[in-house]
Amino acid sequence: MSHFTLSRRHVLMGLAASTALPGMSFAQGATPVSGGTLKISHSTRIATLNVLSLSGPAEYPCIDMLYSGLTRTGLDNQPHPDLATEWSANDDATEFTFILREGVTFHDGTPFTADDVVATYEAILNPDIPSAARSVLKMVEKVEAVDDLTVKFTLSAPFADLPYSTAHANARIVSRAALDGDLTKLDTTANGTGPFKLETYDSARMVRLVKNENYYKPGQPYLDAVEMMLFPDLAAETANFLSGATDVMLTVQQADFQRISDSAGVDAQQVGSGRYVCVVMRQDQEPWNDVRVRKAFGMAVDRELLVDVILEGLGRPAYDSIVAPELEYATDKPVIPYDPEAARALLAEAGYPDGLKVTLVASDRPAIRAQTAIAIQQTAGAAGFDVEIKTMPHDTYLAEEWMKGDFYIGYWGMQPTIDATYNLLLTSDASYQDTEWKNAEFDALVAEGRSTVDPEKRAEIYAKAQALELDESPYIVPFYEDVLTASRETTVDWHIAPISRFFFIEDVWMNKA
Amino acid sequence: MRKILKSPTGIIGVILLTIVLFATVFGPWIAPYDPQAFDARARLQGPSMAHWLGTDQYGRDLLSRILSGAPSTVAFGLGATILGVGVGSVIGVIAGVAGGRTDSIIMRILDGMLAMPELLFTLLIVTFLGGGTTQAMLAVAVTFTPGMARIARSAVLSVRTREYVLAAQARGESRAWIVGREVLPNALGPIIVEATIRVSFAIMIGATLGFLGLGAQPPSTEWGLMVAEARQFMFRNPWCVAVPGLAIAITALGFNLFGDALRDAFDPKRGH
Repeated sequence: MSHFTLSRRHVLMGLAASTALPGMSFAQGATPVSGGTLKISHSTRIATLNVLSLSGPAEYPCIDMLYSGLTRTGLDNQPHPDLATEWSANDDATEFTFILREGVTFHDGTPFTADDVVATYEAILNPDIPSAARSVLKMVEKVEAVDDLTVKFTLSAPFADLPYSTAHANARIVSRAALDGDLTKLDTTANGTGPFKLETYDSARMVRLVKNENYYKPGQPYLDAVEMMLFPDLAAETANFLSGATDVMLTVQQADFQRISDSAGVDAQQVGSGRYVCVVMRQDQEPWNDVRVRKAFGMAVDRELLVDVILEGLGRPAYDSIVAPELEYATDKPVIPYDPEAARALLAEAGYPDGLKVTLVASDRPAIRAQTAIAIQQTAGAAGFDVEIKTMPHDTYLAEEWMKGDFYIGYWGMQPTIDATYNLLLTSDASYQDTEWKNAEFDALVAEGRSTVDPEKRAEIYAKAQALELDESPYIVPFYEDVLTASRETTVDWHIAPISRFFFIEDVWMNKA
Repeated sequence: MRKILKSPTGIIGVILLTIVLFATVFGPWIAPYDPQAFDARARLQGPSMAHWLGTDQYGRDLLSRILSGAPSTVAFGLGATILGVGVGSVIGVIAGVAGGRTDSIIMRILDGMLAMPELLFTLLIVTFLGGGTTQAMLAVAVTFTPGMARIARSAVLSVRTREYVLAAQARGESRAWIVGREVLPNALGPIIVEATIRVSFAIMIGATLGFLGLGAQPPSTEWGLMVAEARQFMFRNPWCVAVPGLAIAITALGFNLFGDALRDAFDPKRGH
């Protein structure tokens, strides 16, 4: 199996899960030194800097440097103060009051006030403006500025997780002036309150950001500048990193991880995350409407093998729950062993004694979808599932198969809460409800969990919801994929939050001495 | 045939082609393993007694995958060439025989198409049609058409004014008969030679498209796709890139050398 026994990386994983404050530097036995330029390599284009709508893997670190939100998700996956220093809710979680930080200015020098918060949230909630954070803020009815440093949110329904929603990567505060002006300017310019200011934006080559001297954390950021360098070719990106031409590799491929972490002067990190591949089975038609067929397929997937072969051991087997163990209120899921005999028997019981012939669709991007399909085809064969794989271009998949097909491979990033996870995919009115599972009892539990403030009661409710998910197996989830990144040892305090939207680059410093 | 075997290039070409065609016809039967079977314990291994050419990232036997991929790879090359040559020759013969304005119009259009680099043109068509083996084959065929038409036309032109054609015209034979019985058989030589060489290009373009993810799709054992899938693992087991790469090279070289020898054999100036 994998070569990873307990190592520095696991210690880092543990730290990532247990750190209390995101702003806190890890003890490295040295005081941070100011100065230096951090060169970050990435392999996907920074196509836009529009904080309201962007979704590219290399775009998130840019807005994390340029903008600040009311709250910010830490390495512990909890919301922490950012532009809001504190917040409080009324008893039934329908009204939230945020107290804003004093003396914060935008990069152009104008002061940050409650009015900018109101303008930003009005833009996010405006259906005419594309915005990625709207789905987690749907319940916000009214945002008002009580005074210059106090904002009140009124909700249409109880929602205890609002501070998580305000920490959404796309819910960063933009100035009213920018929102009242031409919105297309947000694509290429940025006037935020974050630790870095935009200097050069060239989406085909490099994005360069320089230190914001007026950032609210005193003495930070330590770096003079950050350069985001695009390497469309993975081999070139790795070669440049190993030769020292770049300081950080934003994302490391599983195939290269061992080689990179074995190199001298390199610090490779493996962060446990809730990113997963799932098998979507449409349950309003044969054969997937029968829970026995779904359970049989679950037993026909060799999860250990998939983690080994597809993730190179850099991940954990999952047992058919889309709730990652990192999330608050997540329960321990029982192991589903690979048991082709039992699967075959269950399949026979469901009325398929001769096995079942199915066509599994996988899009060609990213490659992990097709790889998972191929591996599942192999392990499910022994259990009587004759799986034929159909790969298609991603655009064709999105147009013809996604949300329509009856058996295909999905791929999702980690959500910050159980509520966001379930409301994205599994509740009857979820944003991307593609299984037609639609369970009224489950919907009621998720709604109840959303409006409950008491943590103990919430834990109980969410435990029930997760038990229901396990009973019914609406999705087959074979594994959670770790987030992999690497930095040179001269780069201190480089971290990625498990949700891989937050990077805390204001804490990073160069130890060139 | 004897003439082909006289030259060293011809011998090498014939030997390589024999190997490739043998693998194409019998490959799937003589493969020692199931080409899709995983073996988690034997991933990314070099050549050994159990796996003669090593294994890939899933522990699949490379020899078996090469053998099972041979028919589709060679069929792709042959299919695309036959289609391209067929259509191109018909257009070329029509242009050559008709002459005058028809000829000019057809050839100017084809010249326009020829101005585009072959690979770019293929990519353009595949992007338009969408990826997949059939689409890639069509794209290569379309790309080959203008060049083949030009060769067919020039062959027809050189034959058209020969005495035996004039004699047939003087006998009052129909035009179709003259084209079918006098012009075509004598113009066929260059077309066949060109077509043989083109097979190697078709295989290479097919592999390129597979490599770029625009041709065959996983879990196909198309060789170009195998290179692309294994590329990430190049540093851990160079064999999984080298083996399919070599297979492509051998096949392309075989057709190319055979085509060269065929041209020499057809050329009356040499050999006699």
